[in-house]
Amino acid sequence: MSHAFRFGVQLSEATSASEWRDNARRVEDLGYSTLYMPDHFVDTSLAPMPAIAIAAAHTTTLRVGALVFDNDYKHPAILAKEMATIDQLTDGRCELGIGAGWMKTDYDALGLPYDSPGVRIARLDEALQVIKGCWADGPFSFSGTHYKIREYDAQPKPAQQPSMPILIGGGGPKVLRLAGREADIIGINPNLRAGAVTTDAAASASKAETVKKLGWIREGAGDRFDAIELQIRYFVCAITDDALGFAAAVAPGFDSTPEEVLGSGAALVGTIPAMIDQLVARRDDWGVSNIVVGGDNYLDFAPVVAALAGT
Amino acid sequence: MHDRRFRFGVIVPKVSSAAEFTEIARQAEALGYSTLFVPDHFVDHPLAPVPALAAAAAVTTTLRVGPLVLGNDYKHPVVLAREAATIDLLSDGRLELGIGAGWMSVDYEKAGIPLDKPSVRIARLAEAITILKGLFADGPFSFRGEHYTVTELDGQPKPVQRPHPPFVIGGGGPKVLALAAREAAIVGVNANLRSGDGNSRDAASSLTSARTDEKLQWLRDAAGARFDDLEIQTLVGFVHVTDDRTSIAEAIAGGFGVTPDDAILAPVTLVGTESQMVELLELRRQRWQMSYTVVPHEAMSQFAPIVARLAGT
Repeated sequence: MSHAFRFGVQLSEATSASEWRDNARRVEDLGYSTLYMPDHFVDTSLAPMPAIAIAAAHTTTLRVGALVFDNDYKHPAILAKEMATIDQLTDGRCELGIGAGWMKTDYDALGLPYDSPGVRIARLDEALQVIKGCWADGPFSFSGTHYKIREYDAQPKPAQQPSMPILIGGGGPKVLRLAGREADIIGINPNLRAGAVTTDAAASASKAETVKKLGWIREGAGDRFDAIELQIRYFVCAITDDALGFAAAVAPGFDSTPEEVLGSGAALVGTIPAMIDQLVARRDDWGVSNIVVGGDNYLDFAPVVAALAGT
Repeated sequence: MHDRRFRFGVIVPKVSSAAEFTEIARQAEALGYSTLFVPDHFVDHPLAPVPALAAAAAVTTTLRVGPLVLGNDYKHPVVLAREAATIDLLSDGRLELGIGAGWMSVDYEKAGIPLDKPSVRIARLAEAITILKGLFADGPFSFRGEHYTVTELDGQPKPVQRPHPPFVIGGGGPKVLALAAREAAIVGVNANLRSGDGNSRDAASSLTSARTDEKLQWLRDAAGARFDDLEIQTLVGFVHVTDDRTSIAEAIAGGFGVTPDDAILAPVTLVGTESQMVELLELRRQRWQMSYTVVPHEAMSQFAPIVARLAGT
């Protein structure tokens, strides 16, 4: 059984208070479900935690979250408390997006050790247990390799009970199995093992690779697979009458053919009706119902939202 | 040079609903309070300051907002710098950035964060402040310290207040007050919290008039010519309007092992009639230059007539 379509916008920039407020209201008015923010330090602007709190304060139904918080930047007990605070102050409009961390330039700038993917993912695994422990009733203790919690009854609890939705994105087998086990929403992303957006990352979003990723999620999820909402953030989203011409232009960056680009799980290219057909077909094939676009194209993309949201 | 005019803040550690929080923020603004503060602790303080302050700024137009104070050890200063600048930008420049070395031992214990000795925590805070100011300034910033390393990072966004939002640094010991004297625009003169427990007798006994004189002297000595520019803040945890000041003072005195006179004068209490409170605030300003008073939000309405009489004078 497939989930109803819903849509999100990933925004990171604003140069004034009024611009940010107006953007948030526009996203809501256009029928998007969720405003997401990235969490990076180099070449990006606003900090997600206060900015999503403000976006939520200026809207009434819009959901908010990060896509995604890098687990290594903040202690999970603090992340849990901050997100639960926003959830309380918005009467339950938060999604906790979290990932293992990958952008090496951030780690270098902050002087944080850039551990191997296995260690970062193991730490994310522990962080999820800490976050869930914080949100559950009563005091909890946790003794892991990376975090230790002692008899802590965290406050506040999220307004959404028993938990706010947890969103985990990834592109490799370890993180997607973990997501399958733990997440309510899973982002099917390029594999970012290179620590940057490279042709390796782009190639890992091919149709065949996307099918493999679904397999890893299934392995982690077992019986709960059908309850999971699958998400794609379309980094390539181009409304055009000449899909093939567009694909030919970007194909070298994907290290693939124009036809492969059009089939890629990271690209949505074509006219508005073609995009609508493609999203419906991909939901049938892959189960992906949660679609995220960027701040550069959410206005043009709004007719797709109008046609599909809630269906 | 600071004009020493009175201004007031409220501190909000918890609320029971989103609507209540919005109402407190709007009411504080309407009643003439300057600032809404949120503390930063893990236990018994169920509001996380960063998102709560952002939300408070979003539902008001002139009210300033600030953490009182952030525990430096809870977050990497680069993460904090970006969040602080974001609040300042998205509130059109209404942030007061309160930060301290961290002290509440139960927080550290619960979250499994190592509680270093005070001098290490204070040295780390000094590094963090350098990083915050460096990232708020224009252009790329690098720093290599004992505790943090930052490489060629141009902090984004930049705060609206230039060169940076006012820092609020509070403390009760000579080291942290010396740091505040050097780095802060607003200095909180507080109890000495070396015991890790705000309700201890050690903390209370550090609030007598003589000990407060001593703290101001530390601050003067460390600040030199800068002292006149500092705004001196106190957090009054206990506000009690009463016609019978003597018996309340005796009760506090007994509980904390200080004299009734000291209980009245201590910059963490305000007990008496409205007129007596006005007198006390004027006395404290005269003796200790304390012009910025923060009260618990529960006392906000009751205390409002005093704000109306004194704010801006």
